Amino acid sequence: MNIIFRELKAHYKSLIGWSIGMLFMVIAGMAKYGAIATGGKQAIDLFKTFPKPVLVIAGINGLDVSTVIGYFGVLYLYILLMATIHSAMIGAEVISKEERDRTSEFLYPKPISRSKIVTEKLTAAIINIVILNLITTVTSIITVAFYAKDFSNNNLVLILMAGLFIMQILFFALGSVLAGLFKNPKLPSIVATAILLGTYIIWVVVDLNANLDFLKFVTPFKYFDASVIISEGHLDPLYIGLSALIIVVFITTTYLAFNKRDLKV
Amino acid sequence: MNIIETKKLTKFYGKTMGITNLDLTIHEGEIFGFIGPNGAGKSTTIRTLLGLIYPTSGSATIFGKDIIKFGPEIKEEIGYLPSEVFYYDNMKVIDLLKYSGSFYKKDSKIISKRIRELAKYLDLDLKKKIDDLSYGNKKKVGIIQGLLHEPKLIILDEPTGGLDPLMQQRFFDLLRDENKKGVTILFSSHILNEVQKLCDRVAIIKDGKIIKVDTIRSLAENTHKRFKLETAVRVDKSRFTGIKGISDLVITDNSVSFLFRGHINEITKIIASINLTNMLVEEPDLEEIFMHYYV
Repeated sequence: MNIIFRELKAHYKSLIGWSIGMLFMVIAGMAKYGAIATGGKQAIDLFKTFPKPVLVIAGINGLDVSTVIGYFGVLYLYILLMATIHSAMIGAEVISKEERDRTSEFLYPKPISRSKIVTEKLTAAIINIVILNLITTVTSIITVAFYAKDFSNNNLVLILMAGLFIMQILFFALGSVLAGLFKNPKLPSIVATAILLGTYIIWVVVDLNANLDFLKFVTPFKYFDASVIISEGHLDPLYIGLSALIIVVFITTTYLAFNKRDLKV
Repeated sequence: MNIIETKKLTKFYGKTMGITNLDLTIHEGEIFGFIGPNGAGKSTTIRTLLGLIYPTSGSATIFGKDIIKFGPEIKEEIGYLPSEVFYYDNMKVIDLLKYSGSFYKKDSKIISKRIRELAKYLDLDLKKKIDDLSYGNKKKVGIIQGLLHEPKLIILDEPTGGLDPLMQQRFFDLLRDENKKGVTILFSSHILNEVQKLCDRVAIIKDGKIIKVDTIRSLAENTHKRFKLETAVRVDKSRFTGIKGISDLVITDNSVSFLFRGHINEITKIIASINLTNMLVEEPDLEEIFMHYYV
Protein backbone atom coordinates (compact mmCIF):
# COMPACT_ATOMS: atom_id res chain seq x y z
CA MET A 1 0.00 0.00 0.00
CA ASN A 2 2.91 2.39 0.65
CA ILE A 3 3.78 2.56 -3.06
CA ILE A 4 0.12 3.27 -3.96
CA PHE A 5 0.03 6.25 -1.56
CA ARG A 6 3.41 7.45 -2.77
CA GLU A 7 2.28 7.31 -6.41
CA LEU A 8 -1.06 9.00 -5.68
CA LYS A 9 0.80 11.80 -3.95
CA ALA A 10 3.28 12.07 -6.83
CA HIS A 11 0.51 12.28 -9.44
CA TYR A 12 -2.10 14.46 -7.74
CA LYS A 13 -0.92 17.75 -9.27
CA SER A 14 -0.87 16.27 -12.74
CA LEU A 15 -4.34 14.78 -12.16
CA ILE A 16 -5.68 18.19 -11.11
CA GLY A 17 -4.24 19.65 -14.34
CA TRP A 18 -5.79 16.95 -16.55
CA SER A 19 -9.13 17.24 -14.70
CA ILE A 20 -9.27 21.02 -15.17
CA GLY A 21 -8.40 20.52 -18.85
CA MET A 22 -11.16 17.97 -19.23
CA LEU A 23 -13.73 20.14 -17.38
CA PHE A 24 -12.83 23.07 -19.60
CA MET A 25 -13.06 21.02 -22.78
CA VAL A 26 -16.49 19.55 -21.95
CA ILE A 27 -17.98 22.85 -20.74
CA ALA A 28 -16.43 25.04 -23.46
CA GLY A 29 -17.14 22.40 -26.13
CA MET A 30 -20.80 22.12 -25.18
CA ALA A 31 -21.09 25.92 -24.99
CA LYS A 32 -20.55 25.89 -28.76
CA TYR A 33 -23.72 23.77 -28.99
CA GLY A 34 -25.57 26.68 -27.42
CA ALA A 35 -24.42 28.85 -30.34
CA ILE A 36 -25.42 26.23 -32.93
CA ALA A 37 -28.79 25.69 -31.27
CA THR A 38 -29.56 29.43 -31.32
CA GLY A 39 -28.08 29.83 -34.82
CA GLY A 40 -30.45 27.09 -35.86
CA LYS A 41 -30.63 25.55 -39.27
CA GLN A 42 -27.94 27.70 -40.90
CA ALA A 43 -25.06 26.15 -39.00
CA ILE A 44 -26.33 22.63 -39.51
CA ASP A 45 -26.77 23.24 -43.24
CA LEU A 46 -23.22 24.55 -43.33
CA PHE A 47 -21.91 21.27 -41.85
CA LYS A 48 -23.73 19.39 -44.58
CA THR A 49 -21.71 21.22 -47.23
CA PHE A 50 -18.40 20.05 -45.72
CA PRO A 51 -16.54 17.34 -47.66
CA LYS A 52 -16.56 13.91 -46.00
CA PRO A 53 -12.86 13.89 -44.99
CA VAL A 54 -13.42 17.09 -42.99
CA LEU A 55 -16.50 15.60 -41.32
CA VAL A 56 -14.61 12.41 -40.46
CA ILE A 57 -11.51 14.15 -39.12
CA ALA A 58 -13.69 16.51 -37.05
CA GLY A 59 -15.71 13.54 -35.75
CA ILE A 60 -18.97 14.88 -37.20
CA ASN A 61 -19.58 12.06 -39.68
CA GLY A 62 -22.76 10.10 -38.96
CA LEU A 63 -23.87 12.32 -36.11
CA ASP A 64 -26.91 14.60 -35.99
CA VAL A 65 -25.36 17.74 -34.51
CA SER A 66 -28.75 19.42 -34.22
CA THR A 67 -29.43 17.24 -31.15
CA VAL A 68 -27.60 17.69 -27.86
CA ILE A 69 -26.47 14.07 -27.70
CA GLY A 70 -25.42 14.16 -31.37
CA TYR A 71 -23.33 17.21 -30.72
CA PHE A 72 -21.89 15.60 -27.58
CA GLY A 73 -20.94 12.66 -29.80
CA VAL A 74 -18.65 15.02 -31.76
CA LEU A 75 -17.09 16.22 -28.55
CA TYR A 76 -16.71 12.60 -27.40
CA LEU A 77 -13.89 12.05 -29.93
CA TYR A 78 -11.84 14.82 -28.35
CA ILE A 79 -12.66 13.53 -24.85
CA LEU A 80 -11.46 10.10 -25.99
CA LEU A 81 -8.23 11.51 -27.40
CA MET A 82 -7.46 13.55 -24.29
CA ALA A 83 -8.29 10.80 -21.79
CA THR A 84 -6.41 8.10 -23.68
CA ILE A 85 -3.31 10.27 -24.00
CA HIS A 86 -3.47 10.72 -20.21
CA SER A 87 -3.90 7.02 -19.56
CA ALA A 88 -1.23 5.88 -22.05
CA MET A 89 1.24 8.30 -20.49
CA ILE A 90 0.45 7.40 -16.89
CA GLY A 91 0.59 3.67 -17.73
CA ALA A 92 4.04 4.08 -19.24
CA GLU A 93 5.38 6.58 -16.77
CA VAL A 94 4.27 4.97 -13.53
CA ILE A 95 6.54 1.99 -14.21
CA SER A 96 9.42 3.56 -16.12
CA LYS A 97 9.88 6.68 -13.99
CA GLU A 98 12.05 4.94 -11.37
CA GLU A 99 14.54 4.20 -14.14
CA ARG A 100 14.09 7.64 -15.73
CA ASP A 101 14.64 9.47 -12.43
CA ARG A 102 17.37 7.03 -11.37
CA THR A 103 15.53 6.06 -8.17
CA SER A 104 15.68 2.34 -9.08
CA GLU A 105 18.57 1.82 -6.69
CA PHE A 106 16.38 3.21 -3.90
CA LEU A 107 13.21 1.20 -4.57
CA TYR A 108 14.23 -2.13 -6.02
CA PRO A 109 16.71 -3.22 -3.28
CA LYS A 110 13.77 -3.04 -0.85
CA PRO A 111 12.20 -6.32 0.35
CA ILE A 112 9.36 -6.32 -2.15
CA SER A 113 9.00 -8.28 -5.38
CA ARG A 114 8.92 -6.55 -8.73
CA SER A 115 5.43 -7.97 -9.31
CA LYS A 116 4.12 -6.34 -6.16
CA ILE A 117 5.75 -3.04 -7.12
CA VAL A 118 4.06 -3.24 -10.54
CA THR A 119 0.70 -4.13 -8.95
CA GLU A 120 0.82 -1.17 -6.56
CA LYS A 121 1.96 1.23 -9.26
CA LEU A 122 -0.71 0.08 -11.73
CA THR A 123 -3.35 0.34 -8.99
CA ALA A 124 -2.36 3.94 -8.31
CA ALA A 125 -2.50 4.70 -12.04
CA ILE A 126 -5.96 3.10 -12.37
CA ILE A 127 -7.22 5.21 -9.44
CA ASN A 128 -6.04 8.31 -11.38
CA ILE A 129 -7.82 7.07 -14.51
CA VAL A 130 -11.05 6.34 -12.61
CA ILE A 131 -11.02 9.81 -11.05
CA LEU A 132 -10.52 11.48 -14.44
CA ASN A 133 -13.32 9.35 -15.89
CA LEU A 134 -15.69 10.19 -13.01
CA ILE A 135 -14.98 13.90 -13.37
CA THR A 136 -15.60 13.66 -17.12
CA THR A 137 -18.80 11.65 -16.60
CA VAL A 138 -20.31 13.99 -14.01
CA THR A 139 -19.38 17.09 -16.04
CA SER A 140 -20.79 15.55 -19.22
CA ILE A 141 -24.09 14.51 -17.61
CA ILE A 142 -24.62 17.95 -16.07
CA THR A 143 -23.61 19.86 -19.23
CA VAL A 144 -25.66 17.69 -21.60
CA ALA A 145 -28.66 17.94 -19.24
CA PHE A 146 -28.20 21.72 -19.07
CA TYR A 147 -28.49 22.14 -22.85
CA ALA A 148 -31.17 19.43 -23.27
CA LYS A 149 -33.04 20.95 -20.32
CA ASP A 150 -33.69 17.41 -18.99
CA PHE A 151 -31.84 14.22 -18.02
CA SER A 152 -33.20 12.12 -20.90
CA ASN A 153 -29.68 11.61 -22.35
CA ASN A 154 -28.18 10.27 -19.12
CA ASN A 155 -28.23 6.69 -20.25
CA LEU A 156 -26.41 7.37 -23.54
CA VAL A 157 -23.86 9.59 -21.83
CA LEU A 158 -23.17 6.83 -19.30
CA ILE A 159 -22.75 4.26 -22.09
CA LEU A 160 -20.35 6.59 -23.90
CA MET A 161 -18.42 7.07 -20.65
CA ALA A 162 -18.25 3.30 -20.14
CA GLY A 163 -16.69 3.12 -23.61
CA LEU A 164 -14.33 5.91 -22.62
CA PHE A 165 -13.28 3.94 -19.54
CA ILE A 166 -12.53 0.80 -21.55
CA MET A 167 -10.48 2.91 -23.99
CA GLN A 168 -8.62 4.50 -21.08
CA ILE A 169 -7.74 1.10 -19.61
CA LEU A 170 -6.77 -0.19 -23.03
CA PHE A 171 -4.27 2.59 -23.67
CA PHE A 172 -3.10 2.49 -20.06
CA ALA A 173 -2.32 -1.22 -20.61
CA LEU A 174 -0.48 -0.29 -23.82
CA GLY A 175 1.66 2.23 -21.92
CA SER A 176 2.43 -0.26 -19.17
CA VAL A 177 3.38 -3.09 -21.52
CA LEU A 178 5.79 -0.78 -23.34
CA ALA A 179 7.33 0.24 -19.99
CA GLY A 180 7.63 -3.44 -19.12
CA LEU A 181 9.38 -4.21 -22.39
CA PHE A 182 11.62 -1.19 -22.98
CA LYS A 183 14.77 -0.67 -20.95
CA ASN A 184 15.06 2.92 -22.18
CA PRO A 185 12.70 4.77 -19.81
CA LYS A 186 12.08 7.66 -22.21
CA LEU A 187 10.67 5.47 -24.98
CA PRO A 188 7.45 3.97 -23.54
CA SER A 189 5.38 7.17 -23.27
CA ILE A 190 6.62 8.44 -26.67
CA VAL A 191 5.86 5.14 -28.42
CA ALA A 192 2.49 4.78 -26.63
CA THR A 193 1.41 8.27 -27.73
CA ALA A 194 2.62 7.61 -31.28
CA ILE A 195 0.62 4.34 -31.44
CA LEU A 196 -2.42 6.18 -30.07
CA LEU A 197 -2.24 8.85 -32.76
CA GLY A 198 -1.53 6.14 -35.35
CA THR A 199 -4.72 4.28 -34.42
CA TYR A 200 -6.66 7.56 -34.61
CA ILE A 201 -5.37 8.13 -38.15
CA ILE A 202 -6.32 4.54 -39.06
CA TRP A 203 -9.84 5.24 -37.72
CA VAL A 204 -10.11 8.26 -40.03
CA VAL A 205 -8.79 6.27 -43.01
CA VAL A 206 -11.21 3.37 -42.36
CA ASP A 207 -14.16 5.79 -42.18
CA LEU A 208 -13.14 7.36 -45.48
CA ASN A 209 -12.51 4.16 -47.39
CA ALA A 210 -14.95 1.25 -47.16
CA ASN A 211 -12.40 -1.08 -48.77
CA LEU A 212 -10.25 -0.78 -45.67
CA ASP A 213 -13.04 -1.92 -43.36
CA PHE A 214 -10.95 -4.94 -42.26
CA LEU A 215 -8.68 -2.45 -40.44
CA LYS A 216 -11.49 -1.58 -38.02
CA PHE A 217 -10.20 -4.19 -35.56
CA VAL A 218 -6.78 -2.49 -35.51
CA THR A 219 -8.05 0.80 -34.14
CA PRO A 220 -9.83 0.96 -30.78
CA PHE A 221 -11.36 4.29 -31.86
CA LYS A 222 -13.60 2.18 -34.10
CA TYR A 223 -14.58 -0.03 -31.14
CA PHE A 224 -16.25 2.92 -29.43
CA ASP A 225 -17.45 5.07 -32.32
CA ALA A 226 -19.90 7.66 -30.92
CA SER A 227 -22.18 7.62 -33.99
CA VAL A 228 -22.68 3.84 -33.68
CA ILE A 229 -23.13 3.89 -29.89
CA ILE A 230 -25.69 6.71 -30.06
CA SER A 231 -27.69 5.09 -32.89
CA GLU A 232 -27.64 1.58 -31.36
CA GLY A 233 -27.85 2.63 -27.72
CA HIS A 234 -25.26 0.14 -26.48
CA LEU A 235 -21.61 -0.89 -26.77
CA ASP A 236 -20.77 -3.72 -29.17
CA PRO A 237 -20.10 -6.89 -27.08
CA LEU A 238 -17.56 -8.06 -29.70
CA TYR A 239 -15.46 -4.94 -29.17
CA ILE A 240 -15.83 -5.14 -25.39
CA GLY A 241 -14.55 -8.73 -25.55
CA LEU A 242 -11.71 -7.78 -27.90
CA SER A 243 -10.70 -4.88 -25.65
CA ALA A 244 -10.77 -7.14 -22.58
CA LEU A 245 -8.56 -9.67 -24.36
CA ILE A 246 -6.03 -7.01 -25.42
CA ILE A 247 -5.98 -5.57 -21.89
CA VAL A 248 -5.35 -8.99 -20.30
CA VAL A 249 -2.58 -9.78 -22.81
CA PHE A 250 -0.90 -6.38 -22.29
CA ILE A 251 -1.07 -6.47 -18.48
CA THR A 252 0.16 -10.09 -18.31
CA THR A 253 3.03 -9.23 -20.66
CA THR A 254 3.87 -6.20 -18.49
CA TYR A 255 4.44 -8.47 -15.48
CA LEU A 256 6.31 -11.15 -17.42
CA ALA A 257 8.59 -8.73 -19.28
CA PHE A 258 9.30 -6.43 -16.35
CA ASN A 259 10.11 -9.35 -14.05
CA LYS A 260 12.55 -10.75 -16.57
CA ARG A 261 14.47 -7.73 -17.75
CA ASP A 262 17.45 -5.89 -16.31
CA LEU A 263 16.67 -2.52 -14.78
CA LYS A 264 18.41 0.54 -16.15
CA VAL A 265 20.58 1.79 -13.29
CA MET B 1 28.45 -19.32 7.76
CA ASN B 2 28.85 -17.73 4.36
CA ILE B 3 26.76 -14.60 4.03
CA ILE B 4 27.45 -14.13 0.33
CA GLU B 5 28.56 -16.88 -2.00
CA THR B 6 28.82 -16.60 -5.76
CA LYS B 7 29.58 -19.48 -8.10
CA LYS B 8 30.89 -18.68 -11.57
CA LEU B 9 28.68 -15.59 -11.55
CA THR B 10 28.76 -14.05 -15.02
CA LYS B 11 27.05 -11.02 -16.47
CA PHE B 12 27.22 -9.82 -20.03
CA TYR B 13 25.52 -6.66 -21.30
CA GLY B 14 24.77 -7.88 -24.79
CA LYS B 15 28.24 -8.70 -26.05
CA THR B 16 29.96 -6.44 -23.53
CA MET B 17 31.45 -8.25 -20.59
CA GLY B 18 30.46 -7.14 -17.08
CA ILE B 19 31.80 -9.92 -14.81
CA THR B 20 33.09 -13.38 -15.65
CA ASN B 21 33.07 -16.56 -13.55
CA LEU B 22 33.09 -14.68 -10.29
CA ASP B 23 33.67 -16.96 -7.29
CA LEU B 24 33.36 -15.02 -4.09
CA THR B 25 32.73 -16.05 -0.51
CA ILE B 26 32.06 -13.54 2.24
CA HIS B 27 31.88 -14.87 5.80
CA GLU B 28 29.55 -13.80 8.57
CA GLY B 29 30.79 -10.86 10.58
CA GLU B 30 33.60 -9.74 8.31
CA ILE B 31 34.18 -6.43 6.60
CA PHE B 32 35.01 -7.43 3.07
CA GLY B 33 36.66 -5.00 0.71
CA PHE B 34 35.87 -5.13 -2.98
CA ILE B 35 38.44 -3.16 -4.82
CA GLY B 36 39.11 -2.29 -8.42
CA PRO B 37 39.19 0.67 -10.79
CA ASN B 38 36.09 2.16 -12.39
CA GLY B 39 34.49 -0.26 -14.83
CA ALA B 40 36.14 -3.34 -13.28
CA GLY B 41 32.77 -4.92 -12.43
CA LYS B 42 32.20 -3.94 -8.77
CA SER B 43 28.81 -2.28 -9.29
CA THR B 44 27.74 -5.01 -11.73
CA THR B 45 28.43 -7.62 -9.06
CA ILE B 46 26.49 -5.69 -6.42
CA ARG B 47 23.53 -4.95 -8.71
CA THR B 48 23.38 -8.62 -9.65
CA LEU B 49 23.40 -9.64 -5.98
CA LEU B 50 20.54 -7.21 -5.34
CA GLY B 51 18.45 -8.45 -8.29
CA LEU B 52 18.53 -5.15 -10.18
CA ILE B 53 20.08 -7.03 -13.08
CA TYR B 54 20.10 -10.76 -13.74
CA PRO B 55 23.17 -12.97 -14.17
CA THR B 56 23.87 -14.36 -17.63
CA SER B 57 25.11 -17.57 -15.99
CA GLY B 58 26.29 -18.83 -12.63
CA SER B 59 24.53 -18.40 -9.32
CA ALA B 60 24.73 -16.57 -6.04
CA THR B 61 23.32 -16.98 -2.56
CA ILE B 62 22.91 -14.53 0.29
CA PHE B 63 22.26 -15.96 3.78
CA GLY B 64 22.37 -19.34 2.02
CA LYS B 65 19.36 -18.49 -0.19
CA ASP B 66 19.29 -18.06 -3.94
CA ILE B 67 19.30 -14.37 -4.85
CA ILE B 68 16.65 -14.69 -7.54
CA LYS B 69 14.21 -17.15 -5.91
CA PHE B 70 14.31 -15.50 -2.50
CA GLY B 71 15.04 -11.90 -3.50
CA PRO B 72 12.43 -10.05 -1.38
CA GLU B 73 13.04 -12.30 1.66
CA ILE B 74 16.81 -11.79 1.51
CA LYS B 75 16.49 -8.03 1.09
CA GLU B 76 14.65 -7.75 4.40
CA GLU B 77 18.10 -8.07 6.01
CA ILE B 78 20.17 -6.08 3.53
CA GLY B 79 21.03 -2.41 3.73
CA TYR B 80 22.33 -0.86 0.51
CA LEU B 81 24.00 2.42 -0.24
CA PRO B 82 24.55 3.00 -3.97
CA SER B 83 27.45 5.02 -5.33
CA GLU B 84 25.13 7.76 -6.59
CA VAL B 85 22.07 8.69 -4.59
CA PHE B 86 18.87 9.82 -6.31
CA TYR B 87 15.60 10.42 -4.51
CA TYR B 88 12.07 11.62 -5.23
CA ASP B 89 11.51 15.33 -5.78
CA ASN B 90 9.66 17.47 -3.28
CA MET B 91 10.09 15.08 -0.38
CA LYS B 92 11.36 15.98 3.05
CA VAL B 93 14.24 13.91 4.40
CA ILE B 94 12.06 12.47 7.18
CA ASP B 95 9.29 11.51 4.73
CA LEU B 96 11.74 9.75 2.44
CA LEU B 97 13.31 7.85 5.34
CA LYS B 98 9.90 6.84 6.71
CA TYR B 99 8.90 5.72 3.22
CA SER B 100 12.11 3.68 3.06
CA GLY B 101 11.38 2.21 6.51
CA SER B 102 7.81 1.30 5.53
CA PHE B 103 9.10 -1.54 3.34
CA TYR B 104 10.52 -3.47 6.31
CA LYS B 105 8.72 -5.68 8.79
CA LYS B 106 10.42 -4.00 11.72
CA ASP B 107 8.21 -1.91 14.04
CA SER B 108 7.81 1.61 12.67
CA LYS B 109 8.48 3.14 16.12
CA ILE B 110 11.83 1.35 16.35
CA ILE B 111 12.69 2.53 12.82
CA SER B 112 11.69 6.14 13.65
CA LYS B 113 13.88 6.06 16.76
CA ARG B 114 16.78 4.67 14.74
CA ILE B 115 16.31 7.38 12.07
CA ARG B 116 16.52 10.12 14.71
CA GLU B 117 19.60 8.55 16.32
CA LEU B 118 21.44 8.18 13.04
CA ALA B 119 20.46 11.69 11.89
CA LYS B 120 21.79 13.13 15.14
CA TYR B 121 25.02 11.15 14.83
CA LEU B 122 25.55 12.22 11.22
CA ASP B 123 24.39 15.77 11.88
CA LEU B 124 21.54 15.71 9.33
CA ASP B 125 18.47 17.97 9.43
CA LEU B 126 15.46 15.70 8.91
CA LYS B 127 13.07 18.56 8.18
CA LYS B 128 14.88 19.77 5.09
CA LYS B 129 13.70 19.03 1.58
CA ILE B 130 15.82 16.52 -0.32
CA ASP B 131 16.17 18.98 -3.22
CA ASP B 132 17.82 21.52 -0.92
CA LEU B 133 20.53 19.14 0.34
CA SER B 134 24.17 19.20 -0.72
CA TYR B 135 25.65 16.05 -2.30
CA GLY B 136 27.31 15.12 1.00
CA ASN B 137 24.05 15.47 2.92
CA LYS B 138 22.22 13.40 0.31
CA LYS B 139 24.85 10.75 0.93
CA LYS B 140 24.04 10.90 4.64
CA VAL B 141 20.38 10.29 3.78
CA GLY B 142 21.60 7.27 1.82
CA ILE B 143 23.58 5.99 4.80
CA ILE B 144 20.56 6.31 7.10
CA GLN B 145 18.18 4.65 4.65
CA GLY B 146 20.68 1.80 4.36
CA LEU B 147 20.98 1.30 8.11
CA LEU B 148 17.57 2.27 9.53
CA HIS B 149 16.24 -1.29 9.64
CA GLU B 150 19.37 -2.68 11.34
CA PRO B 151 20.27 -5.09 8.53
CA LYS B 152 22.50 -8.16 8.94
CA LEU B 153 24.33 -7.36 5.72
CA ILE B 154 25.35 -3.89 4.58
CA ILE B 155 26.39 -3.42 0.96
CA LEU B 156 28.20 -0.19 0.21
CA ASP B 157 29.14 0.87 -3.30
CA GLU B 158 31.72 3.68 -3.27
CA PRO B 159 30.05 5.08 -0.15
CA THR B 160 32.29 7.94 0.89
CA GLY B 161 31.97 10.26 -2.12
CA GLY B 162 30.82 13.69 -0.96
CA LEU B 163 31.54 13.09 2.73
CA ASP B 164 34.10 15.36 4.34
CA PRO B 165 37.00 13.70 6.25
CA LEU B 166 35.33 14.17 9.64
CA MET B 167 32.09 12.66 8.41
CA GLN B 168 33.99 9.83 6.72
CA GLN B 169 35.58 9.05 10.08
CA ARG B 170 32.17 9.04 11.81
CA PHE B 171 30.79 6.84 9.07
CA PHE B 172 33.65 4.36 9.47
CA ASP B 173 33.14 4.34 13.25
CA LEU B 174 29.46 3.67 12.65
CA LEU B 175 30.32 0.75 10.37
CA ARG B 176 32.79 -0.65 12.92
CA ASP B 177 30.08 -0.45 15.60
CA GLU B 178 27.65 -2.29 13.35
CA ASN B 179 30.31 -4.87 12.58
CA LYS B 180 30.90 -5.43 16.32
CA LYS B 181 27.20 -6.32 16.59
CA GLY B 182 27.82 -9.09 14.05
CA VAL B 183 26.84 -7.25 10.88
CA THR B 184 28.65 -8.31 7.71
CA ILE B 185 29.78 -5.52 5.40
CA LEU B 186 30.65 -5.60 1.72
CA PHE B 187 32.59 -2.43 1.03
CA SER B 188 33.24 -1.64 -2.61
CA SER B 189 35.70 1.11 -3.40
CA HIS B 190 38.48 2.24 -5.66
CA ILE B 191 40.02 4.21 -2.78
CA LEU B 192 42.59 1.84 -1.36
CA ASN B 193 43.23 3.75 1.79
CA GLU B 194 39.59 3.38 2.86
CA VAL B 195 39.63 -0.35 2.32
CA GLN B 196 42.93 -0.67 4.19
CA LYS B 197 41.51 1.22 7.17
CA LEU B 198 38.29 -0.71 7.44
CA CYS B 199 38.39 -4.16 5.90
CA ASP B 200 39.49 -7.60 7.09
CA ARG B 201 39.71 -9.25 3.70
CA VAL B 202 39.77 -7.88 0.22
CA ALA B 203 39.03 -9.08 -3.30
CA ILE B 204 40.78 -7.35 -6.16
CA ILE B 205 38.72 -7.26 -9.34
CA LYS B 206 40.09 -6.44 -12.78
CA ASP B 207 38.26 -6.56 -16.13
CA GLY B 208 35.34 -8.41 -14.53
CA LYS B 209 37.50 -11.14 -12.98
CA ILE B 210 38.65 -11.64 -9.41
CA ILE B 211 42.41 -11.70 -9.52
CA LYS B 212 43.19 -11.99 -5.81
CA VAL B 213 41.32 -12.60 -2.56
CA ASP B 214 43.32 -12.27 0.61
CA THR B 215 43.44 -10.66 4.03
CA ILE B 216 44.68 -7.10 4.09
CA ARG B 217 47.50 -8.21 6.38
CA SER B 218 48.53 -11.11 4.18
CA LEU B 219 48.41 -9.00 1.05
CA ALA B 220 50.78 -6.54 2.62
CA GLU B 221 53.08 -9.19 4.13
CA ASN B 222 53.35 -11.60 1.24
CA THR B 223 53.84 -9.20 -1.52
CA HIS B 224 56.55 -6.58 -1.44
CA LYS B 225 58.56 -4.67 1.11
CA ARG B 226 59.78 -1.19 0.44
CA PHE B 227 63.49 -0.73 1.21
CA LYS B 228 64.83 2.81 1.66
CA LEU B 229 68.59 2.99 2.14
CA GLU B 230 70.51 6.15 2.93
CA THR B 231 74.08 5.74 1.78
CA ALA B 232 77.42 7.49 2.45
CA VAL B 233 78.35 7.37 -1.23
CA ARG B 234 76.53 6.68 -4.46
CA VAL B 235 75.90 2.96 -4.91
CA ASP B 236 76.53 1.38 -8.27
CA LYS B 237 73.49 -0.13 -9.93
CA SER B 238 75.41 -3.30 -10.76
CA ARG B 239 75.24 -4.38 -7.10
CA PHE B 240 71.52 -5.13 -7.55
CA THR B 241 71.64 -6.71 -10.98
CA GLY B 242 70.74 -10.36 -11.14
CA ILE B 243 68.87 -10.35 -7.83
CA LYS B 244 65.41 -11.84 -8.14
CA GLY B 245 62.47 -9.96 -6.69
CA ILE B 246 63.75 -6.39 -6.96
CA SER B 247 61.60 -3.83 -8.70
CA ASP B 248 61.05 -0.10 -8.78
CA LEU B 249 64.79 0.52 -8.17
CA VAL B 250 65.75 4.19 -7.77
CA ILE B 251 69.34 5.22 -7.02
CA THR B 252 70.42 8.78 -6.19
CA ASP B 253 73.72 10.14 -4.82
CA ASN B 254 72.82 9.29 -1.23
CA SER B 255 69.90 6.93 -1.40
CA VAL B 256 68.64 3.70 -2.82
CA SER B 257 64.98 2.73 -2.90
CA PHE B 258 63.35 -0.43 -4.20
CA LEU B 259 60.53 -2.90 -3.68
CA PHE B 260 61.60 -6.43 -2.79
CA ARG B 261 59.75 -9.69 -2.79
CA GLY B 262 61.72 -12.83 -1.97
CA HIS B 263 63.97 -14.35 0.66
CA ILE B 264 64.98 -11.62 3.10
CA ASN B 265 68.48 -13.09 3.72
CA GLU B 266 69.46 -12.68 0.09
CA ILE B 267 68.82 -8.98 0.13
CA THR B 268 70.34 -8.37 3.59
CA LYS B 269 73.63 -9.88 2.35
CA ILE B 270 73.79 -7.27 -0.40
CA ILE B 271 72.77 -4.45 1.93
CA ALA B 272 75.48 -5.52 4.46
CA SER B 273 78.14 -4.77 1.87
CA ILE B 274 76.94 -1.16 1.43
CA ASN B 275 78.15 1.74 3.56
CA LEU B 276 74.80 2.79 5.08
CA THR B 277 73.90 5.86 7.11
CA ASN B 278 70.32 4.75 7.66
CA MET B 279 67.88 2.09 6.55
CA LEU B 280 64.07 1.80 6.49
CA VAL B 281 62.08 -1.33 5.66
CA GLU B 282 58.39 -0.56 5.21
CA GLU B 283 55.29 -2.56 4.48
CA PRO B 284 53.99 -1.27 1.21
CA ASP B 285 50.62 0.45 1.40
CA LEU B 286 47.69 -1.01 -0.45
CA GLU B 287 48.21 1.46 -3.27
CA GLU B 288 51.54 -0.17 -4.07
CA ILE B 289 50.06 -3.65 -3.78
CA PHE B 290 47.20 -2.62 -5.99
CA MET B 291 49.53 -1.27 -8.65
CA HIS B 292 51.41 -4.55 -8.48
CA TYR B 293 48.24 -6.35 -9.59
CA TYR B 294 47.21 -3.80 -12.13
CA VAL B 295 50.39 -2.76 -13.85
